[in-house]
Amino acid sequence: MRLGVTGLSRAGKTVFITALVHALLKGGRMPAFETMAQGRITRCYLEPQPDDTLPRFAYESHLAALSGKDRHWPESTRRISQLRITAEYEPRGLIARNFGSGKLHIDIVDYPGEWLLDLPLMQMSFTEWSAATVAASRISPRLQWADDWHRMLASLDPLAPADEQQAIAAAEVFTAYLSRCRKDDVSLSTLPPGRFLMPGDFAGSPLLAFSPLDILPSTELPRGSLGALLQRRYDSYVATIVKPFFFGHFARLDRQIVLVDTLTALNAGAGAVNDLRQALTQILTCFRQGSNSIFSNLFGRRIDRILFAATKADLLHHTSHDKLENILKLIVAEAMAKAEYAGADIEVLALAAIRATREASVKQRSETLECIAGMPLAGEVLGFSRFDGETEAAIFPGDLPAEAHSALDGSLEGSLRFIRFRPPLPKDGAYPHIRLDRAMEFLLGDRFA
Amino acid sequence: MTEGHRNPKAFVIDEPKPGEKLAETPKRKPRAITGITFEPEHDDMALIVVPPKPPAPSRSMRWGGILLAALASLVSLWAGLAVTQLVEEFFVRSPILGWIALGVAAIAGFAALAIIFREIWALARLSRIEHIQADAAHAINTDDSPAAKRAVSHLQNLYAGRADAQLSLRDLKQYDTDIIDGRDRVKLAERHLVSPRDDEAHRIIAHAARRVTLLTTVTPTAALDILLVAALNLRMMREVATLYGGRPSLLATLRLARIVLGHLAVTGGLALSDNLLQHVVGKGLLGRLSARLGEGAVNGILTARVGLAARDVCRPIPQETSAKETLGSLIRELVSEAGEPKAE
Repeated sequence: MRLGVTGLSRAGKTVFITALVHALLKGGRMPAFETMAQGRITRCYLEPQPDDTLPRFAYESHLAALSGKDRHWPESTRRISQLRITAEYEPRGLIARNFGSGKLHIDIVDYPGEWLLDLPLMQMSFTEWSAATVAASRISPRLQWADDWHRMLASLDPLAPADEQQAIAAAEVFTAYLSRCRKDDVSLSTLPPGRFLMPGDFAGSPLLAFSPLDILPSTELPRGSLGALLQRRYDSYVATIVKPFFFGHFARLDRQIVLVDTLTALNAGAGAVNDLRQALTQILTCFRQGSNSIFSNLFGRRIDRILFAATKADLLHHTSHDKLENILKLIVAEAMAKAEYAGADIEVLALAAIRATREASVKQRSETLECIAGMPLAGEVLGFSRFDGETEAAIFPGDLPAEAHSALDGSLEGSLRFIRFRPPLPKDGAYPHIRLDRAMEFLLGDRFA
Repeated sequence: MTEGHRNPKAFVIDEPKPGEKLAETPKRKPRAITGITFEPEHDDMALIVVPPKPPAPSRSMRWGGILLAALASLVSLWAGLAVTQLVEEFFVRSPILGWIALGVAAIAGFAALAIIFREIWALARLSRIEHIQADAAHAINTDDSPAAKRAVSHLQNLYAGRADAQLSLRDLKQYDTDIIDGRDRVKLAERHLVSPRDDEAHRIIAHAARRVTLLTTVTPTAALDILLVAALNLRMMREVATLYGGRPSLLATLRLARIVLGHLAVTGGLALSDNLLQHVVGKGLLGRLSARLGEGAVNGILTARVGLAARDVCRPIPQETSAKETLGSLIRELVSEAGEPKAE
């Protein structure tokens, strides 16, 4: 079974995979994951890496990063990696008990979330992409960060003879613009091409030396011009990087979990939330979703269950989780409607694969604030307090809106602030979590029949 | 021009002086009312249905009720008078006998009071189970967290005094502070506290059904038959109720029987398949062997149905799996047992 963990960068893919594998290997409190709660899973183990050309997911080192004295969240993922975990279980049905193997192999792929942004490029030509990117950069919230690049753009003439140095310089300025838009205070998401932000093995390759031009979608680029050079680079970028990545890892998924870092986007404001919605909608149209039939089983399976999860739900009190789920529903509404129409099962939940906080309530001037308590990361700022990563603090992040639409229309600016916390210490060998068991039940539960 | 035209005018509004009337009508600030909760829409795919309540007693019976109440109070007055007279007569005869009689009467009165309290308590317990059922069904259907918490904590109270539930209660306790959604919390409590009892309930029902089959087969007269079947059914209902946490006494059992009958009346789909089954089993297969045995089997199936209805009514968390399937398995068990007659 292939489980697709989809999520943009910093959505928590690596932590989710680590927590999932840890939960399967070590058990833990999984009351809603029925197979495990009934004790039907007898043994789980990591298989040797099945694919010799792919690095193995560094489960052990991620786990080491999460534990110990100077524990920290894993570094952002720089390259693709894969893991196969096998669960042995007692089948329930008569036939399966006697003839089935009682084994479930789960393949999980981890990769930099930035690369996902490339998937929509497969359906766009260079000129279309150029026009769309330039148009988006001319309106808020991108406009204020795009000055340098716009100046560069004005100096480029698509019809001039091709010049390698000019192409490289343009790509550099464009990359700087993209990475500025990704910083925490802006937190935009729709920033293709993803390899510009996270080049992986392609750093410095001519494949990455292109940038959009200020042209119309219908422009014809003459041979030998700068525009034609950039167009050729773009086409080969899509053909040699994006397509193999997609067809190698995402075209044959059975189940999909879409991790969405809603809270960071809310931190940055309505612009970021809107951008996140756009990015997710574009990415999710690339996947084959829908219920499976005999034919689809033979000729390419479809994803029949999709879980949309708002990650880092531990930065909120549980009484706000419903509101968070509503905001997520709004963000993925289009993608959800499409998948539902195709017949896939859908669930939305607020998830924390590893829960870093406890809950507390603080009474202040006859008002009870539902807080979360934990150790904020060093350098996090809230109001006048700056945290050093050693002190424990109770945080009231502000009330999420009861009406999910206000997350998109900008009426919330400045009323929410979510602080990141240090990873927790494991309790009885297992990490605390929020609804990881429910996510596992939804994604894997029926495969343990 | 002069008729239709109205000149501009200014009116002076006499405002109340500050502090004069302000105290009476405080200004209301504009405010946003948040936290309005709307009932979430039901997902009809996996709706769990709570067993129906018995129909409310009709209002037209009021005179009959008054008559009954009046007669009952007359009888109790008469009984009180008779006892008082009896004690007085004893006092006339000898003071020692009188005191003894008074003591015995007091003990009897105390016992009667205790019985009344027990009945009330048992009825309350039955209605508590009904509340838990309603909360649990609501929590499962709408994933409502507060209802789930309420249902689970009531369930824990219900089983708090039972020795066989202590281990499960302790297991369940560790999840109290975890963040679990409503549906999952109810399922968790079900798995820990209720599901272990299902097998036992199945055993009780199967046992009663077998017994009814056997006794109907061997009893000589039809009248005795009816009495036996009724008695055994009541006993089975009580056993099932006790198993799931009720404390059925006389009144509670009667109420239980009423609910069960109501439940049976509503589940019509079951009856249809059942009729067919009765036909096959009663007149066909077993009837060929012996008429009495066929009747016995039919009575057994009836008992099984009553038992399943009783289980639906008594189980604190309504069940998702269909009762039909379970009836099938019960009947198979019954027929295979009855087919090769075995001494109970």
